[in-house]
Amino acid sequence: MNPGFRGMVASMILIVFFTLNVFAKDYKASDFGAKADGVTLNTCTIQKAIDFISENGGGRLVFEAGNYLTGSIYLKSNVTIHLDYGATLLGSTNPFDYVKDKKIGWMSMIFAVNQENIGISGKGTINGRGFITANNMVAYIHRGIFTDPLKLDRPNETNRPQNIYFRECRNVRVTGITLRDPASWNQTYDQCVNLYVADEIVDSKSYWNNDGIDVVDCDSVEIRNCYFDAADDVICFKSHDAKKICQNVIVDNCVGRSSANGLKFGTVSRGGFRNFKVTNLTIFDTFRSAITFAAVDGGEIENIVVDGVRSINTGNVIYLRIGDRWSQGKKPFMRNISISNVYAEVPFGKPDAGYNYEGPVEDLPRNISPASIVGLPDHKIENVKLKNIEIVYPGAGNPLYAKRGLTSAELDSIPEMRTAYPEFSQFKELPAWGFYLRHATGIEFENVTLTAQKKDYRPSIVMDDVTGATFSRMRFNEPESSGKEQIFRYKSENVMIK
Amino acid sequence: MKSIGLRWSVVFLVLTLTQTVWAKDYRASVFGIKSDGVTLNTRSIQKAVDFISENGGGKLVFYVGRYLTGTITLKSNVTIQLEEGAILVGTPSIYDYYTVDGMKALIVANNQQNIGITGKGVIDGQGTTVLEQINNQISKGYMKETALQASPALIAMDSCRQVTFSELNLVNACGNVQTYSGCRELTIRDVTVKSTVVADSKGLVLSDCNGVKLSKIYFETSGKECVTDGKSKNITADGCKNEMGKTVSAKN
Repeated sequence: MNPGFRGMVASMILIVFFTLNVFAKDYKASDFGAKADGVTLNTCTIQKAIDFISENGGGRLVFEAGNYLTGSIYLKSNVTIHLDYGATLLGSTNPFDYVKDKKIGWMSMIFAVNQENIGISGKGTINGRGFITANNMVAYIHRGIFTDPLKLDRPNETNRPQNIYFRECRNVRVTGITLRDPASWNQTYDQCVNLYVADEIVDSKSYWNNDGIDVVDCDSVEIRNCYFDAADDVICFKSHDAKKICQNVIVDNCVGRSSANGLKFGTVSRGGFRNFKVTNLTIFDTFRSAITFAAVDGGEIENIVVDGVRSINTGNVIYLRIGDRWSQGKKPFMRNISISNVYAEVPFGKPDAGYNYEGPVEDLPRNISPASIVGLPDHKIENVKLKNIEIVYPGAGNPLYAKRGLTSAELDSIPEMRTAYPEFSQFKELPAWGFYLRHATGIEFENVTLTAQKKDYRPSIVMDDVTGATFSRMRFNEPESSGKEQIFRYKSENVMIK
Repeated sequence: MKSIGLRWSVVFLVLTLTQTVWAKDYRASVFGIKSDGVTLNTRSIQKAVDFISENGGGKLVFYVGRYLTGTITLKSNVTIQLEEGAILVGTPSIYDYYTVDGMKALIVANNQQNIGITGKGVIDGQGTTVLEQINNQISKGYMKETALQASPALIAMDSCRQVTFSELNLVNACGNVQTYSGCRELTIRDVTVKSTVVADSKGLVLSDCNGVKLSKIYFETSGKECVTDGKSKNITADGCKNEMGKTVSAKN
């Protein structure tokens, strides 16, 4: 990480602290007539309070313990919503109480557009009650009152309210709160600058697309000490705009569970992702990948450091992918990725079994999928360093169930899938149990231990079209496999095994 | 030319018929409107009005129950039908009343036609409670308007045509009960207006209206029963009385 980036993040934190401490005036929501009875709809009253505070020098709008029912509200400059312990902003279950913001194109409970020095704080809760809201929406769609194609028998995610959607805001601080059960994503920060999210709990398995946090095209971001239990991706960085980029990001000391992915870049990845430092990340009981970076829409990914990962009972550890889905002529790249100090256990069974909104069982038949780094023939993934990694796999790959052997016909039969949605399982059966590397250059493995708990018909690592790879201090543990060649090379050059 | 004229009249006839066919009845519950008296239905009722207006017009029918709401805006070709026992209740929460095109009221319409409210139901402005809220917010300094400016009327309309109110009970307005300005073809019949809970609540305020038929309206109001300005014309009043038995005329 370059020192300029560090300095910028430090000064940004200072700015956020100062700006928010200058306006310390507190206003009680109840003083404006907001009712904590859980049945009075407070939308207009809360909005009035926010507008008043913003127009009168800023301050905190304090919600004392109780349940405050609301639809869509807009947070304004210099206002912090403070939720005391025991205070809940309760989402209306009536979809018509929410606004689909014209600029954003999504529905949300708390919006902010083009504001600065805003925040949400306290030990209280925001509960979208999205399962009921989403199903109410389904009923309106069936009655013809609301128009939606009901793809996959659910309303489009833009027609279901999120808990928080902030767009083009500066100096945003969201701390301490618990987020529960929206009908769509939990919290989206889109084209924001100076974003600080810390000490949050996200508990959200209420409906499809319950992402933990989505950061879209933001600059100068810190996410610290958060706990996520989400139906969809845990910490998800996106790039919706080909001319923007998500950059200068710190993620530290976060724990997450998901029926999709843990730390994810994409899927929408038009502009790109640059200068990330992710440290001390724990992912457990997660259906797909603990770490997955996708550049499938022309995005550019570079200078990414992930250091310190525990991935327990998680279906896949690392999946790096360049694709060509919505690139529209833009040239994607992914380079300078460093992943270090990882301990991971991949289960034989379904890691998210029993959670609400389990991830879909798909791409069968396949044996347990390996970690994968898969570019395209014309867009190779460059300079990936994996250091101090230990992954324990179940092994037990059975060729009678699914087989992809090592002949050139079999290896070439793995489809490129340029335009497909990226998932670690998309190629179905892969020929390795530990790592599959294809269309990559400059791959470095150092002190990597790969264990298969049962004998597998496949080798641990298969390379196809890899130029320049170094393997040092590698250890392979697989029962009944002494003498087995664990690193297989195909169409690959400059491979050094030390 | 003759045949073209005939053809156009056929087209016109067909359009008129389809319009009539489309004038459907919609139950409030279809739009998730709740009759429990605590669920604030503002946006569901608005959604219903908008939907009906955009889909050829019709009636939005409320059956017995208390329907809590803030400001709603009536749209062309929509009639709200309040069946006997149905009460449209103005919310006590003052910030749920919006100012629409300079009008602050529970039910607002601007530049719409073929609209109305019918049925033996009630529209209750909860004037006492709303005024308490207004005074509370003014005393705390959160509301800058005067109480008079902040008080919502029950019904306010501007530049509307073919407006019909019939058989209704309009009660407890926080401001005036009805204000119409620049409206044409306005019919109000068999309506009871009882509004005495706040001071100077006028029953009916007409300005620059043309073609107003008032019949069998009972007025019991703290302000004047009926006020018209000099610009209004073609107003007839038939069988309108106040609580003292005095005939109410449409003179200014």
